[in-house]
Amino acid sequence: MKLETRSNIELINLTVGYEQPDGVPLEILKGMNFTAESGEMVALIGSNGIGKSTLLRSMVGFLKYFSGNIKFNGKELNEFGAKEVAQIMSFVSTDNVRVANMTVFDLVAYGRFPYTNWIGKLTNNDKNIVEEAIEKVGLSGFENRLITQISDGERQRAMIARAVSQDTSVIILDEPTAFLDVSNKYEIFHLLQILSREKGKTIVLSTHDLNIALREVDKLWIVTENNNFQGAPEDAVLNGWLNQLFKNKHVGFDLQEGEYFFKKEFKAKVKVVGEGLALTWTLRALNRMGYQIVIQAEPDFYVFVNENSWELKLKKSTQVFNSIYQLLAFLR
Amino acid sequence: MKEENKRKSIRWVFILLGILFILLFISDLLLGSIIIPLKQIVLVFFPTAETNETFRTIILEFRLPKALTAILTGAALSVSGLQMQTVFRNPLAGPFVLGISAGASLGVALFVLGFSSVLVFGLVSVTGAWTLAIVAWTGSFLVMLLVLYVSARVNDIMTILILGILFSSAVAAIVSILQYFSNESMLKAFVIWTMGSLGSVTNSQLSVLTPAILAGIILALVKIKDLNAFLLGENYARSLGVRIIKSRIIIFLSTSLLAGTITAFCGPIGFIGIAVPHICRVIFKTSNHLILIPAVILTGSIVMLFSDILSQLPGMQTTLPINSVTAIIGIPVIMWMIIRNKKFTSVA
Repeated sequence: MKLETRSNIELINLTVGYEQPDGVPLEILKGMNFTAESGEMVALIGSNGIGKSTLLRSMVGFLKYFSGNIKFNGKELNEFGAKEVAQIMSFVSTDNVRVANMTVFDLVAYGRFPYTNWIGKLTNNDKNIVEEAIEKVGLSGFENRLITQISDGERQRAMIARAVSQDTSVIILDEPTAFLDVSNKYEIFHLLQILSREKGKTIVLSTHDLNIALREVDKLWIVTENNNFQGAPEDAVLNGWLNQLFKNKHVGFDLQEGEYFFKKEFKAKVKVVGEGLALTWTLRALNRMGYQIVIQAEPDFYVFVNENSWELKLKKSTQVFNSIYQLLAFLR
Repeated sequence: MKEENKRKSIRWVFILLGILFILLFISDLLLGSIIIPLKQIVLVFFPTAETNETFRTIILEFRLPKALTAILTGAALSVSGLQMQTVFRNPLAGPFVLGISAGASLGVALFVLGFSSVLVFGLVSVTGAWTLAIVAWTGSFLVMLLVLYVSARVNDIMTILILGILFSSAVAAIVSILQYFSNESMLKAFVIWTMGSLGSVTNSQLSVLTPAILAGIILALVKIKDLNAFLLGENYARSLGVRIIKSRIIIFLSTSLLAGTITAFCGPIGFIGIAVPHICRVIFKTSNHLILIPAVILTGSIVMLFSDILSQLPGMQTTLPINSVTAIIGIPVIMWMIIRNKKFTSVA
C-alpha cells in the first residue's frame, strides 16, 4: 500500500489514559485538540507526571485511547494494522538499549524491520538506507562500534538513525534529550530540526528542556491539568502559558529573557554601576545571592564595576575586590 | 569490509563445530562400557558377513537412540534457554531457573506417583510416551503462563526470577509429599527419573521426542525476526510492528514444548539452557538470532554428546546421572560469565 507522503496528525477531542492494575480505566489527559503538519517539529510540554508519555504512547498505538480521534492523513489510527503503523510512525523511547555484541549498524538496521522478509534479510537498498541514516546523524565510521561501547549521546543518535531508517513520515520521541549533557541536547534538537526541514518529517517530542525547545521547535503542545494550548512557542510566551505551566510560586518565566528562573526572597537592595559583560555577570551573581537589583529606588548598598575590580560601597565603608567570588564571599 | 570478515569467520566457526559434532557423535557410539572399534560403525549401517551382531544390537538399540537423544536434548534446552534470555532480556533466564522444568516435573510427578502402577508400566509404549509428554507439556505451559501473567504486572525481572526459584522449591515440596505416600517401586522409578538419563529413551519414545522437538525448533525459527526485535525491549519491538502478545505466546509455546518434552523423557537437566547461549554469544559475537539459533543447536548438541561420553567413561560399568555431569560442566561457565560480566544490565 502506498501511503501519502504528506503527513498530517490530528488529535480531535482526544482523551487518553490507561487501565489500572485493578482494571479500572484512569483518564489522564482530556479533551485535547492538537495538530501537526508535515515538516513541523512539535514539542509536547507539561509538568512531570501530567501524562506526556501516555499521550505519546497512545499516538504510536501502544495504548488504547478512551475517546476522541487520532488521525493520520485523515485516517483513524486504529484502522491501521500493526505493520502499517510501523511504516507511518517510528518511536524513540527513554528505554536504555544495551545489547551485547550489537553494533551501531545492527541497531540502525532494525529500522528496516517492517520491510524485510521473515528472517530479516537486508537487501542492498536496505543497507543503503541504513548507511544514509547513520551518515545523517553524524555517526559515519561508527558502524562497527558496539552500542555498549559508545557514549549516551552517540547511542541516542543511533536510536534516532534507527527511526530515520524506518522511513516513516512521523517520528515520535519520548524525552530524547533526558540524561544528555547540554551540548548533546542541542545537537539532538538540531538534528531533529534538520530532519523535519530537509526530509519533511513530522516530529513530535516530549521534553523538559524548555529553554532549548522554545528556541528550536516550530510548535508547542502544552498540556496542563485543566486546559491545553497549541501554537508557536512565541505565542505561548505572549499568552502567558509558560507562567501557568508550573504551579510553583517560586518558579517564574522571564518574558524578556525567554527563560525560567527561580524566584527568591530578597535580602537587600543593591544598585550596580558599570558596563559590558562584567556588569551583566555581576548582576547575575548578586541576583543568585538573593539581592534585589534596583535602578530608581534607594539601595542598601552600591557596587561599582570597574575594569578589573569590584568596589563595594556600604553606608560607612568601601571595599575593593579582585573577583566576583571575593565580593560574594564578603557579602556572605 | 569488516562485515565480510565477520561473516567469513562465522562460517569457519560453524564448519569447525560441525567437525567436532561429527567426531563426538561417532565417539558417543563407540565409547561406553564396551568399546567398539571404529570399523564396526560402517559395518553396522552397511551389514556384511563381518558385522558383529552384538555390536550391531548395542549400537542400534542402545547407543544410537541415546546419542540422538543427547543431540535433541542439547538442541532443545539451548534453544529454549536462548528464547527465555531474549524475551526476558536477562542472561540468567532459562527453563530451569524460571521454573519451567519444575512445572514439567510436577506434571510427571503427579502422573508417575499419583496414578496407578498400570500407567507407569505402560510408559514404554508409544501411548505411555505420549501421555508422559502431554503431562509434562501441560505442567511447563502452565508455569509459562504464570510467568507471563506475573511479568505483565511486575516489570522487575529479578522478581520473576525469584518467583521461579520459589516455584521450583514449592514443586520440590509437593513432590516430597507425593513421594511419602507412594510405594517403593514407583518411588524408585521417580527418583531415577529425577537423576536424568539419556539412556532410558527407547526407540518408541524417540518417535514422540523427535517430532515434538522439531516442532519446537521450527516455532523458534519462525520467530527469528521477532526474537531479534525483543532484544530492544517491548516498546521498540511494538513500534517495529511486532504483535507482542501473539509473538510471546508462540515463543512460550515453543519453549514449553522444548523444555517440557526433554524434562518428561530425560528428567530435569539443568544449566545447559543457560550456559550454551552464553558460550555461543562469546564464540559468534553476534546478537542476531538467525545465527544464534543454529549456533545454540549445534553447540548444545556438542555439549550434550560430550556430557554423555563423560557420564559413561570408557571401561566403567555404571553410568553417572546426566544432570550431575551437565551441572559440573555448566556451572563453571555460568560462574565465569557472572565474574567476567560483573553487572547484568545487558543480555550478555
